[in-house]
Amino acid sequence: MHSDFIQMRSIVKVFQPATVALDGVSVDINQGEIHSVIGENGAGKSTLMKVLYGMVAPDSGEIYFKGQKVNFSSPRDAVKAGIGMIHQELMLIPSYTIWENVVLGAEPANRLGRLESKEARAQVQALVDEYDLGLSIDERVADVSVGARQKVEILKLLYRDIDTLIMDEPTAVLTPQEIRELFRWVSQAKAAGRTIIFISHKLAEVLEISDRITVMRRGKTITTVENKGLDKSFLARAMVGRDVVFSVSKPPQEPGQTILAAENLHYTDADGQKKLDGVSLKVRRGEIVGLAGVEGNGQFELVQALVGLIQPQQGSIKLKGQEIVPLPISKRRELMSYVPQDRKSWGSAQPLSLQENVIMTHHMTNTALQGRLRWMLSRRKTRQLANTIKEEFEVVVPNIDVPFFALSGGNQQRAIVGREFMLDNDLVILDQPTRGLDVASIEYIQERTLQKRADGQGILLISTDLDELFSLSDRILVMYRGQIVADLRPEETSPEEIGEYMLLGAKGGDNE
Amino acid sequence: MGLWIEILRSSILAAIPIALASLGGAFTYYTDVFNVALEGMMLVGAFLAVIGSYFTGSWAMGLLVGALGGLVIGIIFALFAVYMGADHFVTGMALNMFAVGGTTFTLRRLFGIKGALVSSRIVGIPSWNIPLLSKIPVLREVISGHPFAVYIALLLIALSHYLLFRTKWGLRLRAVGEDAQVLDSLGVSSRRIKTLSILGSGILCGFGGAFLSLGYVALFAEGMTSGRGWIALSVINVSRGRPWGLLLVSLVFGFFEGLGMSLQGMGLAPQFPQMIPYIITIVAVYVYSRRERRVKAA
Repeated sequence: MHSDFIQMRSIVKVFQPATVALDGVSVDINQGEIHSVIGENGAGKSTLMKVLYGMVAPDSGEIYFKGQKVNFSSPRDAVKAGIGMIHQELMLIPSYTIWENVVLGAEPANRLGRLESKEARAQVQALVDEYDLGLSIDERVADVSVGARQKVEILKLLYRDIDTLIMDEPTAVLTPQEIRELFRWVSQAKAAGRTIIFISHKLAEVLEISDRITVMRRGKTITTVENKGLDKSFLARAMVGRDVVFSVSKPPQEPGQTILAAENLHYTDADGQKKLDGVSLKVRRGEIVGLAGVEGNGQFELVQALVGLIQPQQGSIKLKGQEIVPLPISKRRELMSYVPQDRKSWGSAQPLSLQENVIMTHHMTNTALQGRLRWMLSRRKTRQLANTIKEEFEVVVPNIDVPFFALSGGNQQRAIVGREFMLDNDLVILDQPTRGLDVASIEYIQERTLQKRADGQGILLISTDLDELFSLSDRILVMYRGQIVADLRPEETSPEEIGEYMLLGAKGGDNE
Repeated sequence: MGLWIEILRSSILAAIPIALASLGGAFTYYTDVFNVALEGMMLVGAFLAVIGSYFTGSWAMGLLVGALGGLVIGIIFALFAVYMGADHFVTGMALNMFAVGGTTFTLRRLFGIKGALVSSRIVGIPSWNIPLLSKIPVLREVISGHPFAVYIALLLIALSHYLLFRTKWGLRLRAVGEDAQVLDSLGVSSRRIKTLSILGSGILCGFGGAFLSLGYVALFAEGMTSGRGWIALSVINVSRGRPWGLLLVSLVFGFFEGLGMSLQGMGLAPQFPQMIPYIITIVAVYVYSRRERRVKAA
């Protein structure tokens, strides 16, 4: 084990105009270790790795690789040196087959540039067999699961003979079973002498697989420690800078009458894919219903059908007894609050001000905002409402006129959640409300959600974060291939069991 | 019989410039560059081809200079659209207007004429009889004896198909259009590929324009491309950039253009037959979008 394998010294990176992403960061990586870099969103983990990988040029600082000072100006240089990176957003061409994605950019070809597809397929197949990845290489990437796509990324690196591997939040979209398999592979790679840099903010995972852990906070390295006798609260304190409550407290509560009742929803999309296949669900007052599922199993379409963005071909949706399928979106939005999963393009209008963003929907439904003329908005009243939301939901901004894009992700989401919660509807649909947020914002939004539950409103919570589903939900539903295959109480099930339903649609593979 | 052969012959002739321009546009179609400069590239190609032929007395030099003209427009387009991040549509439109103004201005300054440059010094592309084909009855009358550039165009289509779908360059080029970041993350510059695709489209459009001014006829008229670059754009969309597909679609357009010309010869007011290719464009795009929607609704 060489201790001077990778040395990053005093790396500084400022994103114009004034975001200090890296503020003099130094990290040493040893050869053949699994080294985790942890920190909150925005702590600079990804930026640091992009600097190492040659995707982001540092403003100052030095990198030594195997004792030599290096200056990677593009990923090509890093790849040549044997450093590979798996990005948070997978870098794959969806319409290409698995083998085409693997060889892309390093294709076996003859002198005329003719792609030697036979040879390429054989090479990729050999790697699939050797590492027991269980992929069929002629399938299109668009048609395989997220877990399989990640394996394709791993294959890309194996194909390029990479011996240092940077993995940026690889487990974020995986089920517990897939995470297990990934960790098995990571340990195997380590045993084969490869070095792995693992970026995460999930402490349990980090504690499980790392040899050493570097903690980052606000663009600085706080500490690097051996993974011996550490626990979650120590890491969390180093990460956030204060004590963190790990589970929000959820008092027991009897749900009231049914608010939302969807019956037998069927929806087939434009490509002829059946996305909803007879979905029925109920949400009652004072109840949080969690919806789990591997992405692409119909959760997205279910939310769209409820909100009115798509028309189911069959089925009924009743809100407080009223059939809402024939209602347009604007009418439905008078009855339900909705936090979409895509904060940037669906949840907000980025160039507009905070004020304009938080009064959206209110401006249609809240007649108290009217000015002297019925079709005008009162400037005074809208500003008042915006300020209330800003105060009430702790959106940290100098004033309500700043453009929305200038807010951090956490503040943006607080504003959106604030807008929707202030609508004060009896049904709240939360689609991935805490994805990609900092710990403080996650805690805050989860607490407000529980407050809504205490107020007797019904909440449908869609999340890929199983921890969140377990700590908030009264019931957890699992969607698989357009059907709801499980309806379990969190205290009577386990993440592993939910994971099995997510992957197989049934428990232990027995298809009922 | 004779009339139909005449129409078919003229459809091939009319199809080739459109096929060449849309073949060029297919490259940018795959790299996701919104290339509306096809029209301008063609016009510059047509003009410079005539100039080249006029001054050197060689049709080959004409073709070469025409293709180079398209390339120059391509270089300007790439410079602005890829390297300086300008809007593709605005850049393309500016170049189209520049092409109309530039060619007309130069024509008037250089030769002191308005309208069209017709001269015996302009050497057109010679016709060529294909040895084997010219023995087959009927077919030979349609296919053989065309300006020799027709056969070069077919060769270019075959080559482009091979390049796009059989080589590693094609694999990369098509990947750029889907997600350029993927290639950048692999250390392959997507900018470079985009630029090359634009330059390629420039050369092919310039060649298409040269065919227009030296293949059919041997003259240059102001604005003589008359919207063929735009027709090419819709050909690319309908054929989704497949080289053989776009040849087929171009032939359909060519057929209607040829039909129009033959109808003119029959004494119909020329404005009506001239409308035909453009009406067909609208109909084609309409039918295509209906089909698309039906696929989506199914």
